[in-house]
Amino acid sequence: MKNTMKNIAALFLIFVFSGSVVNAQGWTVPASAKKKQNPYEATSKNISSGKKIYNIQCKSCHGDPTMANMLPLAPVAPTDLGAQNFLIQSDGEIFYKVNKGQGAMPAFEKTISDEDKWMVIAFLRSFDKNKKVKQQVAEVKNPEVTDVKLELNVNEADKTMLAKLSGVTKKGKRVGLQGIEMSFLVKRSFGYLDVSGEDPYTNESGDVQIQFPKDLPGDREGQVNMLVKVTDDAFYGNLEEKRVVTLGVPTDPVNPLDERAMWGTRANAPIWIIVTFVGGVLAIWSVIFLVLFQMIKLPKLAKSKD
Amino acid sequence: MNDLPKQKETNLSFEKIKKDILHPMQNHKGLELWIVFLITVISVCGWAYYIQLKDGLGVTGMRDYVSWGLYIANFVFFVAVSLVGMLISSILGLLRIDWITPISRIAEIIAVAFVAVAGLVIVLDMGRPDRVLNVMIHGRFQSPILWDVTVITTYLTVSALLLILPMIPDLAICKKELTKASPIMKKLYNILSLGYINTPAQHKHLHKMIRTLMVLIVPIGLAIHTVTSWLFAATLRNGWDTTIFGPYFVAGAFVAGSAALIIAMYFFRVNYKLQDYITDLQFDKMGKLLVAVCLVYLYFNLNEFLVPGYKMKTGDDIHLKELFYGNWAIMFWASQLLGNIIPIILLVNKKFRKPLPIMIISLFVLAGAWFKRYVIVIPTMLHPHLPIQNVPENFVHYYPSAIEISVTVLSFALVLLIITVLSKIFPVVPIVETAESKGIEVKIEA
Ligand code: HEC
Repeated sequence: MKNTMKNIAALFLIFVFSGSVVNAQGWTVPASAKKKQNPYEATSKNISSGKKIYNIQCKSCHGDPTMANMLPLAPVAPTDLGAQNFLIQSDGEIFYKVNKGQGAMPAFEKTISDEDKWMVIAFLRSFDKNKKVKQQVAEVKNPEVTDVKLELNVNEADKTMLAKLSGVTKKGKRVGLQGIEMSFLVKRSFGYLDVSGEDPYTNESGDVQIQFPKDLPGDREGQVNMLVKVTDDAFYGNLEEKRVVTLGVPTDPVNPLDERAMWGTRANAPIWIIVTFVGGVLAIWSVIFLVLFQMIKLPKLAKSKD
Repeated sequence: MNDLPKQKETNLSFEKIKKDILHPMQNHKGLELWIVFLITVISVCGWAYYIQLKDGLGVTGMRDYVSWGLYIANFVFFVAVSLVGMLISSILGLLRIDWITPISRIAEIIAVAFVAVAGLVIVLDMGRPDRVLNVMIHGRFQSPILWDVTVITTYLTVSALLLILPMIPDLAICKKELTKASPIMKKLYNILSLGYINTPAQHKHLHKMIRTLMVLIVPIGLAIHTVTSWLFAATLRNGWDTTIFGPYFVAGAFVAGSAALIIAMYFFRVNYKLQDYITDLQFDKMGKLLVAVCLVYLYFNLNEFLVPGYKMKTGDDIHLKELFYGNWAIMFWASQLLGNIIPIILLVNKKFRKPLPIMIISLFVLAGAWFKRYVIVIPTMLHPHLPIQNVPENFVHYYPSAIEISVTVLSFALVLLIITVLSKIFPVVPIVETAESKGIEVKIEA
């Protein structure tokens, strides 16, 4: 009896010990976190925005999904996030890992919004071969082309914009390139605003048309800086077109530095603060100078006898 | 002031007062040694400052989060101590409280020394001190920094005047009596005494000027520490974003200043053998004053920590928990208990208001005041508003570097040196006022 107890205790210790060794290298994801489901649907729009976020935030380390071209970091290299043996994990498990990070993997809990992280996961799921409801992004095969061109047509009356993507085939014929995602970006004070809309993929003739928002403020003349580009550089390299268009709502810019305010330059300090400061300094220092001036009188008073 | 214990009748004559006060200025051997010691400390630490100047502020422990470190905490402390000049010689002086007569000059010397070096500490904290004038040239009226620079210079000026003007009669005596003084000193006494021979007209005129300055320094004194508190309170940071910071700082300043004055009184009494002038009465009274200002400060601390601690609003909670039982608990509670509460409890007891015990208690109060400033400045800096992650390890901690500590030691040595030199060339106890207060006739020859 005694021996059995001892053996069980020993076995238990070994079990606990080996378990902790394994855990020290792997991830520990709480069961409750694993159960989480992606609250966002795997629409092409969501997948596409997930891809954009992925390219900005994750690609530098993880490389392209399924391509295994990750950064060779030591001791643990980043996982190929498109690989099937990674994608067997639940949405919640991936979400948890992205939030918490480990080793060289940063914690994105506070630097990327939850929504954006779910978008990335939706994007990663699109590589999952076992996914039951697989989002069919129509596989399009474009002919091999050279001299790819991006043309832009702006209709200022109804505020639409038409981009045309074309290339020259081996036979020397210029054809439209189909199924390529385009980004329509408007320059704002801090970065770009994406106005691409729901479905910015080129059609069979290489065209994609978008509706420019009706209420976007422009400068005094209503001009805005547009940047139209092929979203993914992987297809034809960096292909973009910049243009100033008059599609915005004419707006007189207010520069908050123009008014008198606490945050203004010295010249734009509020009047009351200038008056208080200068007034206070003048009042106090005139008394000081008065006293200094009075000091001069002191030696003379030595002679007066009263 | 009728309830004063009757002062022991001393058979002092004007001659004896003059001799007692002037004698130690010229015949104190330890004093020169002490000055040499201070100058050595300053030169050694000056080398640390040279390194900082050469290599930049990177040699300090300050990084992106904690950009106000030891230097600023020390600056606030110096400004605080300097406020004692306004408390003693001005507020109590205007109230015609007579026991301050022998110690008012020491208070004024402390004020001048501390506020002068406080201004210097700011320059020491600059990476490019050669650009210090830009604060004036490009200063914005909206910035508390400009107000602070202005008010500190003003306070220094008025404090210096309040040191010199009441000293004019004494300087006239120095001119006559200190025959062994160097020619430069004689010249200085001659100029500063402004031909004073104590005619009634001169007497009246002089006292009118002094009264004017005494009134003037009250708003300036309040302003200097209130504005210093606004450097913090004008931000939205947790721990600084409070409306009572102005009076809170002023109350704390009275505590620090009174403690510093008691310590200085003790050393002058012992070293200059001034037992007949800085008597037990002065220590007793200062002890009561210290209790009073400590109680006011305690009241402010209660408001400053109890009210936000009751609400624990987001942001404040992290800060307060760090202070109450986190990384800063020891420093926080030590400064509250050793620097405030225990001194109050001890000093209500008459026995502890004797010179030696009260001096030791004051050392604790002063050290507590210093650490209190440290606790005000640094923990708040460690909690930036925006969650930033993946920053270098040394951003999220702050440990002053050896260079920083040396430069801080330099500032202390400089304060002590200024006090020492001023007390070597000027009589630390007012001769004429003391004689007048004892009803002894004063004669100053031309
Ligand atoms: C600085 C480089 C870096 C960046 C940027 C990065 N990762 Fe990682 N990631 C890693 C490394 C290294 C690992 C492996 C860590 C380990 O297992 O110890 C990893 C692991 C992971 C894992 C766990 C893989 C597994 O095997 O379970 C997930 C999920 C993940 N990353 C997702 C992301 C996502 C999503 C992004 C972008 C939002 C991202 N990572 C950005 C370096 C990076």
